[in-house]
Amino acid sequence: MRERLPAGWVRWLLLGLAATFVIIFLAAQYQSANVHYGELPERETIAEGSAGELTDATLPSVEQMTAMVAANPVVRLDGAVAVWDAGQVAAVTAGRDVRILVAPPGLTEEQRQQVNDVENATITIIGTRVTGDMYVAVGDRAADWRAQFGRNDVTSALLTLIPAVTDQPDVDGYAYVGAWRAPTKSELDPVAADLRATGAHLGTGATLTSVPRRAAAEAFGTDDALVVALPAQPLDRPAPDYGPALAALFPGRPLVVMYGNWIEYHGPHADEFAEIASAGFYARFGDRLSRFAYPQANVLGVYLGRVADIRTSGLFDKPPPYRPFDPLRVALPALPWLFAACVLGFLALSGRTLLRPALAAPARFGTLRGAGLRDRLAALTALAVEISGLPDARDDEALTRAIGNLVVARESLDDNLPDRVARSLLNDAHRDLDEVARRLPYPGLRPDEYLRGRLA
Amino acid sequence: MPSYWPVWVIGAVLLLAAGFATTFLPRWRARAGAREEAWVMARAAIESARVSRDAAYTPITQAEQLLARAEAIAADRGGRSAATAAARYARPADELWRAAAGA
Repeated sequence: MRERLPAGWVRWLLLGLAATFVIIFLAAQYQSANVHYGELPERETIAEGSAGELTDATLPSVEQMTAMVAANPVVRLDGAVAVWDAGQVAAVTAGRDVRILVAPPGLTEEQRQQVNDVENATITIIGTRVTGDMYVAVGDRAADWRAQFGRNDVTSALLTLIPAVTDQPDVDGYAYVGAWRAPTKSELDPVAADLRATGAHLGTGATLTSVPRRAAAEAFGTDDALVVALPAQPLDRPAPDYGPALAALFPGRPLVVMYGNWIEYHGPHADEFAEIASAGFYARFGDRLSRFAYPQANVLGVYLGRVADIRTSGLFDKPPPYRPFDPLRVALPALPWLFAACVLGFLALSGRTLLRPALAAPARFGTLRGAGLRDRLAALTALAVEISGLPDARDDEALTRAIGNLVVARESLDDNLPDRVARSLLNDAHRDLDEVARRLPYPGLRPDEYLRGRLA
Repeated sequence: MPSYWPVWVIGAVLLLAAGFATTFLPRWRARAGAREEAWVMARAAIESARVSRDAAYTPITQAEQLLARAEAIAADRGGRSAATAAARYARPADELWRAAAGA
């Protein structure tokens, strides 16, 4: 019995291991599709209100504004920035009572509610966000965003919204009025000189005060990015388009040009990401940029973060990046076979446990189980044969019973039944034989005597 | 990478089967052994009773009935309780006949 104990332990150990492998396997089923080409330090998210997006604009009361709107079709509050092409807008408002209220950007929640409470305004513009009834006009292409954020031009939004709220058919064909021209030499030279000297040009009226160098380096992978920051350009005359001219002057260097909150990229790999970065950025943040007056530094910082994300996210059919050695991933293919080995071991040891009684069968392996009983059986059988040879006892019914019990006892031993069966039967036979022998004149045939002689 | 899920499923099924087998097989075997044991004892008792009956010259109705009942139970074969019942009927019958023969 003692040498079987380790087998039992091993069996349970194998079962535990198999269970562990199943758990590891299930836990490893979580797979992420997160593939990066590089690791970026974590950036803090910009907290609401702390990004300088609010202005200190003050508004007249709702009643005053309502009175102003009633008096004039277009009311511009102090600080309002939105402008539009009067000719094209007049074409859609002709003959209709369309009243436009233009509020400055960067209002608090309360102030925005105040502006929205002016019920007689058909169109309400906060910053460059144009709303009317329950509609909001949102730009959806680069030209829209360039006009809206680079020149505060809301003509396109008005031409979309005014027909919608006055039940007119949509306007087909809209002409962008904010023209762009190549910069003159006298405009370009000071900018180029600044860029050569410091790598940045901060134009008069621009809210960018210093270039976020680290963000730029992360975004473009080099330290020599050039930044030009200019205020939003007026709509009434063509604006100088610095991007292409400067890109020609500084080939091979990343160049970011800001007009107001509009950001353009010129330089290496522009085809690969500039459009997607710009579309993603303005589609996501355009609504907030239009309502608030974010400083250019914050807008540029978020844009550069966006570019860095794109550059490191592996969107462009590059080979998969190197993956560091992961023991679990390397060992994982072996897991099913380790599990299978544990199962087989457990099965083998279980089989041993099941076969144990058969292994211990005396008939096959000659163990000593039941040996004493077999000796006693043999002795009693011999005694029964001896007694049956005597004429006085031949027909005794006790002898017959004893012989019957001895036969059954032999069968029970051969069938591997528990010892107590054979013992009980042998006791019966013993008693019967004793009963027969008592009537005989030979004391040596009493079973007690006979067995003492045989088994001693 | 080839799919290994059959390994897991078959392995789990085998583990379950082995667990059930190691739990229930010994129990079932012990029960079968106990039944066999009871029947051996019952048959031995019935056989003894028959021998005693043949040796007794006077018929004893009560013993006849008891033995008949025991034989009827044994003829139907059955579980352990049937075997012990048969033995319980056969033994007093044996005793009665033995007493009659000894008298």
